[in-house]
Amino acid sequence: MNDTTQQQVFDIIAKQAKIDVSTIKPESTLKDLGIESLEAIEVIFDIEEHFNINFPDQQGANFDSDTAQSLVDAVQKALDDKVAAGEGSD
Amino acid sequence: MSNVSMRRVVITGMGAISPFGAGAETLWQGLREGHSGIRPLRHPDAGRLKVKVAAQVPASFDPAAHIDERTLPLLDRTSEFALHAAREAISQSGLDFGDGVLGLRTAVIVGTGVGGETTQDEQSKRLYADNATRVHPLSIVRLMTNASASQISIAYGLRGPTFAVASACASANHAIIQAGQMIRYGLADIAIAGGTEACITYGAMRAWEAMRVLADETCRPFSANRRGLVLGEGAGIFVLELLEHAQARGATILAELAGSGMTADATDIVSPSADGAAAAMRQAMVDAGLTPEDIDYVNAHGTGTLANDSTETRAIRLAFGAHADRLAVSSTKSMHGHALGASGALELVAVIGALRDSVVPPTANLDQPDPACDLDYVPNVGREMPVRAALSNSFAFGGLNAVLALKHAP
Repeated sequence: MNDTTQQQVFDIIAKQAKIDVSTIKPESTLKDLGIESLEAIEVIFDIEEHFNINFPDQQGANFDSDTAQSLVDAVQKALDDKVAAGEGSD
Repeated sequence: MSNVSMRRVVITGMGAISPFGAGAETLWQGLREGHSGIRPLRHPDAGRLKVKVAAQVPASFDPAAHIDERTLPLLDRTSEFALHAAREAISQSGLDFGDGVLGLRTAVIVGTGVGGETTQDEQSKRLYADNATRVHPLSIVRLMTNASASQISIAYGLRGPTFAVASACASANHAIIQAGQMIRYGLADIAIAGGTEACITYGAMRAWEAMRVLADETCRPFSANRRGLVLGEGAGIFVLELLEHAQARGATILAELAGSGMTADATDIVSPSADGAAAAMRQAMVDAGLTPEDIDYVNAHGTGTLANDSTETRAIRLAFGAHADRLAVSSTKSMHGHALGASGALELVAVIGALRDSVVPPTANLDQPDPACDLDYVPNVGREMPVRAALSNSFAFGGLNAVLALKHAP
């Protein structure tokens, strides 16, 4: 399941960055991949739409400095929280 | 330029509707005392929104108390604000447009970021959510971006150049600059100018949320713990007048609009550039015949976002050099919120107050110094000090910069 989540998140990032998905490493930040500012917000939006989850606001932080793996972890946590809240089947 | 600069522009009236209520003086007194207009969000759909705070015009604002019942149905909330503020400004100026002659030489230029957003949101909801088959027949005249300028023109018979200016968060400053240029270049002797915004709708709030630039608790410009901007609303409208015209009729002059600077970053649609902002500040000083050492106060754009505040700090350093460390800089958005296209107008009330009363309004909620923001931001408490001249910065999404230079009344 983790691999699947990772693959899906990496695919979304690759699409936005217009790069080959194989070039994304877990430790790559969005900025490393050439995704900055508004594009980073778009990646977050695409991930939220794709998984039907809501990321909490990162007040005062930039998504640009998030690593690919941290986004995968955040998705997994949001999905787990949804299951725990009994919303897993929607 | 020399014969153009012979025509000097002064401000002889100001009016405002703001989170502090009606009146420019009410706004100024609130700001100089460091009071906050930021409150829990008041909206029927507040429960469905993540954003919890806003700087809204108080619920006690009753347009029907000030505007006649035949005009009211024509107005979006933006125009209610603008008309109200215009009436205050014109009344203070002592101008009488009743003779029909002066109106020909009077321009009306009003900035707004989004125009009739309340009307747009309400009518869209009717169509798409309520499945109504009809929208209100006055929707177009309410929501058009020029409605506020046109309503002021009609209310007072002002027949000079009249239009709206839209440049997001710099709209008011661009409008005031444009109005000043009209007078300088002889196209008008008087201009009614400023900005208005009323954009705290469900749709607009969701869009701002999606951009993730809204603060969750309050606006903390230049503070290390700043978490974004707080949306506001309101209007500020001014009477600009040719100096000789004002002197000839013995008008009370509030301040001189001594110069202005306008630039575009031409880089990113949202990320600001220090170079673009600095160029606008330099231009404003040169245009006003002022040197950096002549300026005592800068009313900052100071939105409270991570990107703006550090970039604006760098820009001020670029524009002012060593004098940057002797400037008082404050962001009054910490108190009146970010009223987008009206911001520059609310902030001009603060600058006029500072020049007149020799008090610089503070930056509220600044409690954690940020190494990237290393100027004197007059934290939390206003400061009594002489203010000979001041700049007022507005920088917009889209990379648009508009800076006003103000001086004491001559």
